Amino acid sequence: MDTLSEITKSLGEILDIEMEEITPEAYVVRDLGAESIDLLELSVALNARFKVEVNEDEVFLRTFRVFLNKATEARKNPADYLQAKFPFLGPGRIGEILSDIDGGPVLKVKDLTAYVSWRLGDN
Amino acid sequence: MRLEFFGRRVLILGGTCDLAITLAEILIQEGLHPILTWRSEAGKGRLSAMLESFSGRYETVHLDLARRPLLHGLFSELKDDLDYVVDFAHGDMECLIGSANPDEIHRYFSENVSARAELLRMAARIMVRKRRGRMVFVSSSAALKPNPGQGFYAAAKLASEAIYRNLGLELAGRGVTTVTLRPGYIHAGRGKKYLEAGEAEALRAIPLGRALTCREVAQAALFLLSDGAWAFNATEVSMDGGLTAGK
Repeated sequence: MDTLSEITKSLGEILDIEMEEITPEAYVVRDLGAESIDLLELSVALNARFKVEVNEDEVFLRTFRVFLNKATEARKNPADYLQAKFPFLGPGRIGEILSDIDGGPVLKVKDLTAYVSWRLGDN
Repeated sequence: MRLEFFGRRVLILGGTCDLAITLAEILIQEGLHPILTWRSEAGKGRLSAMLESFSGRYETVHLDLARRPLLHGLFSELKDDLDYVVDFAHGDMECLIGSANPDEIHRYFSENVSARAELLRMAARIMVRKRRGRMVFVSSSAALKPNPGQGFYAAAKLASEAIYRNLGLELAGRGVTTVTLRPGYIHAGRGKKYLEAGEAEALRAIPLGRALTCREVAQAALFLLSDGAWAFNATEVSMDGGLTAGK
């Protein structure tokens, strides 16, 4: 099972958009226009397709800013702190998000793929 | 009028009460498949006895809202396949607010609001996946017009109504709708005990002049489940003979 193509298929069905628009680098909210109800449906679809428990706070990076603030308040290195909270992202991606965080919702298609692969134990 | 139903599998929470059993009988006659929850062995036995003539046409499943692990077990038994929920489940807690045991207050809201919300979250996710689902919450006229001693009961009912209302608000676009039915005095369960204690006084407040029967309420729930009632969404319907309309 190709994780990216399965996620692309789910996103295409839920958002009713062409598969070509759904690249790993596409922002799920900023570019593809997903709303909260779409993310709920996506979470249900990931659970059904991959048979993994989906924590929406993690997979959609909902608590990313909360943990960033906590790291700042506790005077900890944000990248290290966030890496521990989001182990599926990897240091490179954490750095990308930190440099991009003021631009709006940071979630990309590749983050979904990374999360599912992590839950499946692929990494 | 011939009622039509898009699905078949109906989870009935609080499945051992008179209303639930009456509804189950009607559902079976309509060709639907009720799945009734029971909390105690006595309740399970009651279901078997009362639905004996419908053997094989319904299921029962153990559920106790005080025991969270059973919520997950419930959905495993349902095999993640569900079309409808009808919710009669509600614990009793009759006491003056100023007299209540503080631990009991927490326990009561945990079972009757938080656990219900968790269960509905799981049911909603199944229905979103199927892109179809209907939920009917059976509340009470006491939610709006409680007697002294019914404060916690009313608060838990209103909180639960709000959860159902928002589910309908959030999920209607995905084919999942909800409605709350607020029956008044019924000749069953708590209402029966209350009526037996002071029927004449209670009935004076009802313009209709009588309490509801189990069958009336079950038939109303059946209609609200049907495809024709789909547009009753994210709202509450009173069925109290006019009890809450006047002073």
